[in-house]
Amino acid sequence: MLIIALYKAVPSRTTKVVTVGGVLRREEMDLVMNPFDNKAVEASDYLKRAFGGKVVSVTMGPDFKLKTIAANLFDAPVEGIEESYILSDRRMAGADTWATAYTLGLGIKKVVKQHLEAVDELISMLEGRDGVEKFVERARELYEQNLLPNIVYSRLPTLKGKTVAERLAAGEISRAEALDVLRRARGEVERFIVVAGIKTSDGETGSTGPQVAEALSMELGTLVPSATYVRDLEADPEAGVVYVERKIGNMIQRLQLPLPCVVTISPEYRPRTPSLKTKKRAILYTYGKKIRESVVWNADQLMADPSKIGLIGSPTIVGPGIDIGTPPVQKIVDKTRVLSGKVEAFELNGKTYGPYEKLTRVVDIPEEAARYLEERGLVKTFGLEDLVEELFGGLIRIAREQRV
Amino acid sequence: MQESNEYRDVWVYCETSDGELTRPTIEIIAGARKIADRMGMQVAGILIGHALDKVAKEPIYYGADRVFVCDTPLLKSYQAIPYTYVLSEMVLRLRPWAFLFVANEVGRELGARVAYKTITGLAADCIDLLVEDFVMYTPQGTKVFKDCVAQVRPDFATRIAKIFTPKHRPQISNIRPGSFTPLPRDETRRGEIISWDAEIPPELFCVKVLEEKPLPQSNIKLEEAKAVVSLGLGVLRDGSGNPRNPAEAYRLASELSSTIMERTGIPTEIGASRALIYANIKELEGLVVKDRQVGQTGKTVSPDIYIAAGISGAIQHRVGMMRSKKIIAINTDPSAPIFQLAHYAVVGDLYEVMPKLIELIRRYQA
Repeated sequence: MLIIALYKAVPSRTTKVVTVGGVLRREEMDLVMNPFDNKAVEASDYLKRAFGGKVVSVTMGPDFKLKTIAANLFDAPVEGIEESYILSDRRMAGADTWATAYTLGLGIKKVVKQHLEAVDELISMLEGRDGVEKFVERARELYEQNLLPNIVYSRLPTLKGKTVAERLAAGEISRAEALDVLRRARGEVERFIVVAGIKTSDGETGSTGPQVAEALSMELGTLVPSATYVRDLEADPEAGVVYVERKIGNMIQRLQLPLPCVVTISPEYRPRTPSLKTKKRAILYTYGKKIRESVVWNADQLMADPSKIGLIGSPTIVGPGIDIGTPPVQKIVDKTRVLSGKVEAFELNGKTYGPYEKLTRVVDIPEEAARYLEERGLVKTFGLEDLVEELFGGLIRIAREQRV
Repeated sequence: MQESNEYRDVWVYCETSDGELTRPTIEIIAGARKIADRMGMQVAGILIGHALDKVAKEPIYYGADRVFVCDTPLLKSYQAIPYTYVLSEMVLRLRPWAFLFVANEVGRELGARVAYKTITGLAADCIDLLVEDFVMYTPQGTKVFKDCVAQVRPDFATRIAKIFTPKHRPQISNIRPGSFTPLPRDETRRGEIISWDAEIPPELFCVKVLEEKPLPQSNIKLEEAKAVVSLGLGVLRDGSGNPRNPAEAYRLASELSSTIMERTGIPTEIGASRALIYANIKELEGLVVKDRQVGQTGKTVSPDIYIAAGISGAIQHRVGMMRSKKIIAINTDPSAPIFQLAHYAVVGDLYEVMPKLIELIRRYQA
């Protein structure tokens, strides 16, 4: 299976968040991998070990910041990723969830396409008149580029004599039989899986996974289902399906999804132990290498529509930040001066003041009147008992009346 | 852009459970009502599923003017692709101005897919909706987009922002449960129920639902509580800085909570800050559980009374409780940010203040 793990770089907890007009300036901050994406990498790793294939990470953002994060992923538990692709372009900056999903969709499509092209080239060689030697030579080249699984070409000692290239060269299998294997290998790429975290710690909460599925549906012209909040994940690559268990509302749902599909992994996910039975098959469909250098693609290489990427391609715009309400009328226990009782309207120096409710703050009364009330001993310090009266008194009265 | 004017009405994607509207659905109908009234528009409930006859009128009782019902056995279980298909068809044909979903497993996925498919904006995790003009500053000058939905949401975990979808319609948002107060159910309200016949291509049912089983229900109803007593990391030490057993703070919180319930009859629950839950304190195991978390990654509550004990009030916590009607903050640190939004500030040790508060409420003579 071609397994595509999405991740996002988010501001580290200690960094100073830099925004310009509501847009995060990622290039100016300390970035770490979104913590929720660790589960996506874990689940991807499990799928590869259990069913074969390779894990390719795809992300969008400034490449000079992302390369260091990608570097760590090659050594992630248990086996780490095999390849890293970074979609980086100034024109992609400021993307909202729509433009992000569009761009990631194009990146995934390109990754899939180059793997398909490699197998297709070999298929057409076998279908045509190319000699076996030429086929083996080309297979070796593509294997070196990590574009072919072990079953087609391999250097693994344990697989010596078992690959298509070797068996074809030795005359052990016919061209038709070799084609059959190649077509199966092609299916493993065509029926890829995209694995993402359920949300990010910096904002877009849970929208990207389902939108990438929708973007891929449009770009590939095929239905790409999604399953979110996945707690358990199993696959049957031969049948081209995955089985997931996920939480939805008050239910646990078990689903069978056709591949390709997008799954987002819940923090509750725990990888299983791959069974020996599937592992034997897995090795045949695994790719031989790790390519530790991130591949960077810009918008032109993705053949992106410039009106659909970055700030320009984003239907949403972040408006100005807002104050979290105005500070409330506050009473500080053992500090705020308040009226100790209800005060009827009164006249003072030709002016009428009041009436005032009990526990009115002195600061809310005109100075002259406040002084007058203070002198008459009608002012006290707000206490915990006043808080109880003001907040619970009415409620307790109502409750008592209802009981009566 | 001129076309925007043709878009009308505020839609609500209605979720049901056991033949009833879910509480978050009823809440967002109230939210839809708020912006629709401001615009002179109608509120439409959208119901998809099977055997919806009984529930079809409920959105109207809770404030909607119309209900579109797509009822077929094919759509009995929630499935993203066919549901997205039906909703996208409806959106493209009927052109709503705004479309609200609940920010839960279903609403997040469905809203996201519909927004992508119909090429419009999505604002996730909103806590409020307003109607405002959006002013865009461009090198060519300023441009005003009249009457947009200001979709209020926590942003980058550090502040609150308004998200606008100025040029695209509908303006799609998902709304956190607990953000709006439901309107009272009124069976005398009248409205139109319109059935929507969807012809769904069979290949859209490519995902098989193998099994559905109910999840054990949490009996912690934080969002429905009228009073919440919340604890934060402040429980670890008393006023003099000496370590304390956090289980004692929990005992005080539950005593305070049950005293409030006994005397006032209002439902009261215990909440907690994210910091306290993730500290994984042994003494609080099984007591301070994830279902009690108030804040950005937990629940949004707006009770009549919110008591924050030992909570410093990081923005992530505040967005989850700032709409409480009366907030009492108890904290030893007078500069704790929680005091900025507290109606009642008690600078002091929660281990001293809480017992006094319990005693005063218990003895209060009405």
